[in-house]
Amino acid sequence: MPATIHNDLLVYKGSNFFRQRLLLATLSGRAIKIEDIRSTHDDPGLREYEVSLIRLLDKVTNGTRVELSQTGTSVYYQPGILVGGQVTHNCSTQRGIGYYLEILLALGPFCKEPMNAVLQGVTHSALDVSVDKIKAAALPLLLKFILVDDGLELKVVRRGAPPLGGGEVVFKCPVRRHLRPLQWTKWGRVKRIRGVVYALRVSPTMANRVVDAAKGVMLNFIPDVYINTDQCRGSNAGKSPGFGVSLVAETDDKTFYCAEAKSTVAGAGEITLPEDLGRECAQRLLDEIYRGGAVDSCFQWLLALWMALGQKDVSECIVGPLSDYTITFLQHLKEFFGVMFKLEVQRSGSDDEDSDDEGVTPASKIKMTCVGIGYVNISKRTL
Amino acid sequence: MADESAFDKKKSHRAKQAGRKAEKKKNKNKVDQSNLSARQRNPKAFAIQSAVRAERQFRRREDVISKKQHIPQVDKTPLEPPPIVVAIVGPPRVGKTTLINNLIRSFIKTNVTSTNGPITIVTSKKRRITLIECNNDVNSMIDIAKCADLVLLLCDASFGFEMEIFEFLNICQVHGMPKIMGVLTHLDMIKNAKTLKTTKKTLKHRFWTEVYSGAKLFYLSGIVHGEYLRNEIKNLSRFISVMKFRPLSWRMTHAYVLADRLEDITSQDLIRKDPKVNRDVVLYGYVRGVPLMKDSSVHIAGVGDMKISELSYLPDPCPLPSNEKKRHLMERERQIYAPFSGVGGIVYDKDAVYIELQGSHSHKKEDEETNEKKTLLKNVVETKETVDEQMQESGFKLFSGGAVIYPDMIKDDEYLQQNKKADSDDSDSGAESDSDSDNDSGIDQSEKDDKKNKVPWDNNSDGDESDAEDDDEKQGSSDEETIPVDNDISADEGDTDTDDEIQTEEDFGSKWKEKLGEKATEAYLERQKTSKNIMKLVYGEFEIGNKTKDKKDEESDDEEDEELGGLFKKVTDTQKKKHKEKERLDLEECTFFYALEKPNLRDWTSEANKQFLINNFVTGKRSADEDASELLKLDDASDGDEEVYGDFEDLETGEKHVAEETPQETGGKRKAEPTKSEILDKKMKLKAKFDSEYDNPDDHRIKGDHSYYENLKAEALKQSELNKSVFENLDNGLRIEVEGFRPGLYVRMLFKNMNSEFVTNFDPSYPILIGALNMAEQNIGFVSCKVKKHRWYKKILKTNDPLIISLGWRRFQTLPIYSKIEDDLKCRYLKYTPEHVTCNMHFYGPMTPQNTGFLALQSVSNNTNEIKQVGFRIAATGSVNEINKSTQIVKKLKLVGTPLKIYKKTAFIKDMFTTTLEVAKFEGARIKTVSGIRGQIKKALNKPEGAFRATFEDKILMSDIIFCRTWFKVDVTKFYAPVVNMLLPVGAKNAWQGMKTKGQLKREKNIKSDANTDSMYTEVNRAPKVFKPLVIPKNLQKGLPYRFKPKEKTLKLPGKNNKDRFQNRIAVIKNPEEQKVSSVMKMLKTNYEKKKEVQKEATAQRLEKHKKQMELEEWRKLKRQKELKKKICRHLSKMGNKKKPQM
Repeated sequence: MPATIHNDLLVYKGSNFFRQRLLLATLSGRAIKIEDIRSTHDDPGLREYEVSLIRLLDKVTNGTRVELSQTGTSVYYQPGILVGGQVTHNCSTQRGIGYYLEILLALGPFCKEPMNAVLQGVTHSALDVSVDKIKAAALPLLLKFILVDDGLELKVVRRGAPPLGGGEVVFKCPVRRHLRPLQWTKWGRVKRIRGVVYALRVSPTMANRVVDAAKGVMLNFIPDVYINTDQCRGSNAGKSPGFGVSLVAETDDKTFYCAEAKSTVAGAGEITLPEDLGRECAQRLLDEIYRGGAVDSCFQWLLALWMALGQKDVSECIVGPLSDYTITFLQHLKEFFGVMFKLEVQRSGSDDEDSDDEGVTPASKIKMTCVGIGYVNISKRTL
Repeated sequence: MADESAFDKKKSHRAKQAGRKAEKKKNKNKVDQSNLSARQRNPKAFAIQSAVRAERQFRRREDVISKKQHIPQVDKTPLEPPPIVVAIVGPPRVGKTTLINNLIRSFIKTNVTSTNGPITIVTSKKRRITLIECNNDVNSMIDIAKCADLVLLLCDASFGFEMEIFEFLNICQVHGMPKIMGVLTHLDMIKNAKTLKTTKKTLKHRFWTEVYSGAKLFYLSGIVHGEYLRNEIKNLSRFISVMKFRPLSWRMTHAYVLADRLEDITSQDLIRKDPKVNRDVVLYGYVRGVPLMKDSSVHIAGVGDMKISELSYLPDPCPLPSNEKKRHLMERERQIYAPFSGVGGIVYDKDAVYIELQGSHSHKKEDEETNEKKTLLKNVVETKETVDEQMQESGFKLFSGGAVIYPDMIKDDEYLQQNKKADSDDSDSGAESDSDSDNDSGIDQSEKDDKKNKVPWDNNSDGDESDAEDDDEKQGSSDEETIPVDNDISADEGDTDTDDEIQTEEDFGSKWKEKLGEKATEAYLERQKTSKNIMKLVYGEFEIGNKTKDKKDEESDDEEDEELGGLFKKVTDTQKKKHKEKERLDLEECTFFYALEKPNLRDWTSEANKQFLINNFVTGKRSADEDASELLKLDDASDGDEEVYGDFEDLETGEKHVAEETPQETGGKRKAEPTKSEILDKKMKLKAKFDSEYDNPDDHRIKGDHSYYENLKAEALKQSELNKSVFENLDNGLRIEVEGFRPGLYVRMLFKNMNSEFVTNFDPSYPILIGALNMAEQNIGFVSCKVKKHRWYKKILKTNDPLIISLGWRRFQTLPIYSKIEDDLKCRYLKYTPEHVTCNMHFYGPMTPQNTGFLALQSVSNNTNEIKQVGFRIAATGSVNEINKSTQIVKKLKLVGTPLKIYKKTAFIKDMFTTTLEVAKFEGARIKTVSGIRGQIKKALNKPEGAFRATFEDKILMSDIIFCRTWFKVDVTKFYAPVVNMLLPVGAKNAWQGMKTKGQLKREKNIKSDANTDSMYTEVNRAPKVFKPLVIPKNLQKGLPYRFKPKEKTLKLPGKNNKDRFQNRIAVIKNPEEQKVSSVMKMLKTNYEKKKEVQKEATAQRLEKHKKQMELEEWRKLKRQKELKKKICRHLSKMGNKKKPQM
């Protein structure tokens, strides 16, 4: 739903895409107002995790002004200057750390000082990408834009499963004056599968069973499969029991697809079998590989963001089918930055011929082309 | 000068090859081999004699080469570049207008009567220029420097360089140096040939030091019949047309427009009612720099920040000639376009073409008319026009009103429109697609699409509203399903899809809940198919643009109407759409591909599905252009062009291969068999690759291993090619949406709510510079920059004195604070700028990217007296360092206290603070006495308010003063006022005066501040110093030699001096009798004393003797006692020992 504009103030409705809007407002320096946040719900207004997000944004910026209405159903947000630096944040356990980390990742290159953030909370959540996934798939993506890795790092200090969390990650990100334009139309073929299985406060055999199941599926396709197990103990295992798996497929052109699965929350009544979990994760990874494209489907929006924030040059990338989230993100990009992507459905000629023979239809690929808006990091200091 | 040689082509000299002369020359050039050294005879043998020297040579060569290298930049010049802005700058009365007239005449062979504002002319097949004259106002000079590509700097040679020229050069240096060509005029005023020569030379060298040595300086030797000499002008125009330009960093990141036409489209009615009403102004001009985005905000220099409310492009009013191959411009292609000067007959508007007739009055004149009758008459004429417009508008409204009343009719209309659009879509030019009507149809279409898709879901979405959670999920899945339909709406497939859906729908009616999983799965499979018009899916909603709000209102009207109509609420399509939006409104935000629904994924391990995937792995089959075997075959085939699979003999084995009928064998089966065209393609590709690797046409001088630089260059080149090629074949409308209005397009910009003064006080001799602002540049914050006072500026600058700064596109007044960065990166407040070094400056102003240059002026008004007084107007120059939302500037603060009471190393200090709270804040702070004893604040005392206990490293004195050194934060005043000189009345545009300095105000109002009483001179009263008498201690006196001994012990009697004292004394003189008596007495006395002395001595001896005796006796006694004691003790111990055994 497009925003209405009242003298340069963007007014949105509803709580969905709250994070996108705050992120883009912060980057563009435009003030926004979000109205009708769960106004018809029994529990109206902002949730704890959203307030926590605002707090985090306040910590990494200087001069941010936030006004909440009495009922909490409307927010006025006027962003300040991105500062970065040393940040410690206790994330809400309603959402995973990924919810917050993705924002920091998007803001990281544009801060005044290199970001060094410590986030505490739930590292593996069902609603958000896990920290493993960000580490495996999103950091290489950022690396494509900043090219030189001086201190881009994500360290999982402690894992924490929902509902109580207790995990901790350290995220470090260098600052850049501007991002490079990126041309990424070839993503190669999957050459190896890696993975991590973690088991927190449960029997270590669980992890091994997950590994066996996942490996069983993946070995049908490629022999180079290696899955680590991470059995945490003591304080490193967080506060709640749980286990899960994340699998990464690396192609020969440094594209990383990642899929993950985790056990249901302890005490929910349902029981997750480790074998099912492993198989499910492997299937998801295969699905991701089938969709293809230069990035994992979860990080299409990050790719779009960084392409749009590049210099005034053409960037082009081919991705798999666009997710709903990406589509909305593209709409928001248009509203905040006025940047429009040229989207084309890609047909590879030679593949078509093959498909005639064997009846194989690859998933549709979408070529995204855009001219960067020439965004420069205005907060960085020059001496 | 490479440029000069370009058109100075004469037949070159050809040396004689044969004959006597040639012979002579040969002999002359022949070297006598006999007296040559060995080295000269055979230089190769002596190539490297010293490794050190060779190394030095190599190093020097590399140095020279790396000096030539520049950071490769992506070339962003468009295919059809905008006209080059040639600015003619100089002090008044140097001949600027004459030069422009002459240039125009030499380029297009016509005379222009008035030169006002920018004049665009076509000069050659590939070049257009915009000539603009700069008036003598520092505001225009700044704006011109920001937009000019080439500056012709005119100078009166008979007078020499004037301050304006140096000022302008300085402005240029700050804002990015354009190309500058000097032009010396009035050379005929210097009669003496020798002075002429020396003047030329001195002026040239002065110019070189300012610009760069070797900068081109033109001489226009004089005026004949009011014109410069024709061949000189011709030379100048040739120089202009071959000039090359380097990109400037500010202009390569910002779009800008130099407006060359202005139109006020406010309805006359409103103006008649209130002449000061805010106007709607349309400005026209070429886009320059980088592409201009549609909804970017801009800064109009001299007016302020504005938002472009409508932006569209028009056909080029001064187009480059067509691409036919010919040498010269045709006469009719030498066009001129200068609306402000009233030339360029045809004027294009958004929807009309105006042909200007000579002698007819322009709009502007009409505005100025005051005659009643004429205005009345004109009103009649004009109202006709406005009625037309109103008709159009009201027609529009009628149309939308109709939607309220007759929804069915509206639908029909929509269908009609849609069809129409579909027809016209392809043929539509970009300009039309920007117009409103097309946008509207765009909405309709997308809306309609949605409606159509949602029909099947009517029942469900109505019935199950109560079950919120399920509904959510279902809605999600319905989203999924609508998408492919949305895309394929035009294709046949779309129809069948919808049919299918309807069928499944019927099944759904009763038990859709059970099938949720299936539904999601289906959607999931659907999603993986190709979606055709993905652009519309994503950006469909956006063509609505500004109309969104109106639509909303309409919809709400709809609702009400139908609710009133009957008992049952009829669910309209728009409502359904709204409902769907509402459902989405408060969903949980999730980045996953399958955000909330959980489809059953395909079982990828099954053989059928495995086929889809297997090629995505390195172990799978590769595509034809990657597969090694295929590539090999391709190579073979290309080699085989000459001898296709011919016979050859393997020399090693001696085996003979004979050509087989391979084509028959393989050709039928394999599709990938390369055709000739493919091979040709491949060859071309290879050749291009080879060329790019080995050809280096630009600077072939750079040799050696410079692969890093070469790579960078290749990357930049690749990027620039991509930039040019990627949107080439795109539809113009879409291209503009994606890329923005690229430089070179002639655009029309509508600004709403512009100040009326801009139009009424418009003066075309002032350039209208419209600069686009990038992201976040429209925001205001604290800017910190480094700044240096200009060495030609006579005064130093004071903190918090208003200063006019030209930064980025803007000119504004603000209150800066100067500071100095200490070693610990603290900004220490400075009251004045230092003389010859840079310092830091903070001000409240627009955020501008780092490293942007700026210049500062104290006033922009053109008061000649003031200029004369100041001499040079540019007060300071500098560049931006950092931007923030707060500042940290500190000032030194010394708190002073005195001791109240002193214990050993502890003291109570008073007078430093006034309250206990203050003390509490400073607990633990370091303090120091004047004498250097360090200490610490401990705790507040409760008795005298503000006193505290402190400890020191040593005991302090009551007379000590105690300091506490702290820092005090200084705030930057939030004052930012753009210079709005364009709004000032015509004659007084150069008289902008913003905030005045305190000094100015005081001078004007004749206020004199009271002098500090402490600093005032007072009479000095010195009391004579009274010293204490010198007292020499007795002991010391004793040791002194006689002459230093105090001679007399005078007993001072008050009020009497020494002489008086002696006067009162009576001398006593004895008679002989008395003398005798006294001498006898004396003798007796002496005797007696002697006797006494002897006696005393004897007594002493006796006493001593006695004493000794006594001591001896005592000693004996003691000894005896001791022995006795010993005896007794022995006896006692004996007795004790005897007793013991008994016990």
